[in-house]
Amino acid sequence: MDFPQNISMEEAFALAEAEAKLEAALQESRNRFTNARIPDRLNEDWRFGRPHQYATALAELLQGDTPSQGEASVLHAGAAAVPVSAADEDLKQTEMLMPTIGSDALLGLHLQRFGSGYALYIEEDTAEPIHLHYKTAGFYTPSTFIMVAPGVKAQVVEHHEGLSENAVLFATRNIQVAEGAELKLQLHSSCMQRYLCITDIQNMGGKVSQLTRHENHAWAREETVAEIYAPGSDIQLFSANLPTSSVLDQHTRQIHHTGGATSNLLYKNVLDGTATATFAGNIYVAPGAHHTDAYQSNRNLLLSEDATVNSLPGLEILADKVRCSHGSATAPVNEEQLFYLLSRGIPRDEAISLLAQGFIDDVIEKFNN
Amino acid sequence: MSLVIKNLHARVKDGAPILNGINLEIPKGEVHAIMGPNGSGKSTLSKVLCGHPDYEVTDGSAELDGQNLFAMSVDERSRAGLFLAFQYPVEVPGVTNANFMRAALQARLPKGEEIDAVSFYKELRSKMKELGMDPKFTSRAVNEGFSGGEKKRNDILQMMMLNPSYAILDETDSGLDVDALRIVSEGVNAMRAPFRSFLVITHYKRLLDYIRPDVVHVLYKGQIVRTAGFELVEQIEERGFDFLKTTEA
Ligand SMILES: Nc1ncnc2c1ncn2[C@@H]1O[C@H](COP(=O)(O)OP(=O)(O)OP(=O)(O)O)[C@@H](O)[C@H]1O
Ligand SMILES: [Mg+2]
Repeated sequence: MDFPQNISMEEAFALAEAEAKLEAALQESRNRFTNARIPDRLNEDWRFGRPHQYATALAELLQGDTPSQGEASVLHAGAAAVPVSAADEDLKQTEMLMPTIGSDALLGLHLQRFGSGYALYIEEDTAEPIHLHYKTAGFYTPSTFIMVAPGVKAQVVEHHEGLSENAVLFATRNIQVAEGAELKLQLHSSCMQRYLCITDIQNMGGKVSQLTRHENHAWAREETVAEIYAPGSDIQLFSANLPTSSVLDQHTRQIHHTGGATSNLLYKNVLDGTATATFAGNIYVAPGAHHTDAYQSNRNLLLSEDATVNSLPGLEILADKVRCSHGSATAPVNEEQLFYLLSRGIPRDEAISLLAQGFIDDVIEKFNN
Repeated sequence: MSLVIKNLHARVKDGAPILNGINLEIPKGEVHAIMGPNGSGKSTLSKVLCGHPDYEVTDGSAELDGQNLFAMSVDERSRAGLFLAFQYPVEVPGVTNANFMRAALQARLPKGEEIDAVSFYKELRSKMKELGMDPKFTSRAVNEGFSGGEKKRNDILQMMMLNPSYAILDETDSGLDVDALRIVSEGVNAMRAPFRSFLVITHYKRLLDYIRPDVVHVLYKGQIVRTAGFELVEQIEERGFDFLKTTEA
């Protein structure tokens, strides 16, 4: 390796040690990808995700020679936005080190298809939200990197849009928020035959709040890992989904590596027809991460008898003085509320859609504060 | 033109009968009152007329201006001109009062016609002012966290906005403070018209002193057992329902 000029022996050792550590981590990641299997039903994280129908098909696309084609554009970013290129080894390494929730093999394949998207290096408060758009009518594998500098306030809205019935999009998102920074993040995805989005949020002592909304997908899977690395960090994860996707498979992890921080999650879905929604969430509090506050709640509203929900909240707490709770609830439309709306002359369909919108509105309100 | 109820029998679905042959005719332009002991079936009658899914009509008929009420869905009955101010108005979290009212009015317009937002808000505000309601209530979720009296006023606000031809008020006076009782009664009186009738359910004379009914009925064990003029209210106020025992004997 090349050492910088004029550094002390100690600094040189420290540098060498850091490089070695990184190299070891990368090697481990490479092994992780080589050993990883394409998801199947034996994989706990894919039990309800229809791996045979979707993960296998996605893996085939990633391995095959169908070109990854889509349109990436950015609005209101100024100098902060840099198009992502496969030549950027740092970004590839960042992606290589991302945690997944059952999709290591797919992430490994994504790395080989790496090469489109945007990196946002946000060093000044954003006057208006930065918008990132990824669109495809075919098969597309974009990557997003967002870094928010210390003390900076930023808003980013990401749009993932399918333009044809056969649209397949598999995105990765790496988000790093420095001490004292504040990031408000929205992800709107829509109209895909298959959609997979793997997100890793690393919080070094800032505030992050994210709202995801998924619409009109035949099949969609979200894996969101939120990691806390410094006291004072705060992460708020929200998701609000109307009854438009047939399969919605959401997996989240709130990881408290250090104590003295808070994380909170509220995911709400409305389901209709024969739709299936899965929510599998986990709060992990590492040994020694004392004084952690972490909450997680999944709520579902069923509009039909045939819709199904698999809600699997979970806690793994290895520290003391921790306040954690998780909960899940699934219920059909409240008959008294429906009757009240009907009794004022509102037609049934309209009444149900008002109640459905009302059910998720508080999530959006909480995100907006 | 009237609301005509003939030999109405109804029960809780797969449960005990509650209404046992009600006969009642309320011509347009009249105000009728129903009084009766707790549990006699007053709220059940009003909910059955609106089509509440808990109940099942086992016999009899109800016609609204000649239309068979029981052949219509709940929302159709409302659009046909029937309105019920509930004894216990329902909380609807997430749906704002303004959106709720707007959807109800929109449903009354012909297809393709859009409600005019500006005049809608203007009207809503002015009716709220009339009822002494804070303008903030427009953006609050329907009845959520409202006090008992606020809920009652909100139902009356809905009645004023929807202009029904047959309005049933189920114990609208309970929970209202003295000023609200006067304000709400004045609102109802202002709506009295030859093309509209009211069925006022109450336990207390003080409401009927404001809203003078033309006819007073007593409901007992799911039947109308007496029909008379205002003197019946005074009699009940003085002596309670003791006369029912002799009726029964
Ligand atoms: N959904 C229901 N399930 C079971 N019982 C019911 C139901 N609705 C009404 N009832 C019963 O029917 C009877 C009549 O009830 P209703 O509410 O109509 O009385 P009411 O005359 O309005 O009384 P109050 O003056 O107390 O309001 C009561 O005994 C009540 O318990
Ligand atoms: Mg009652």
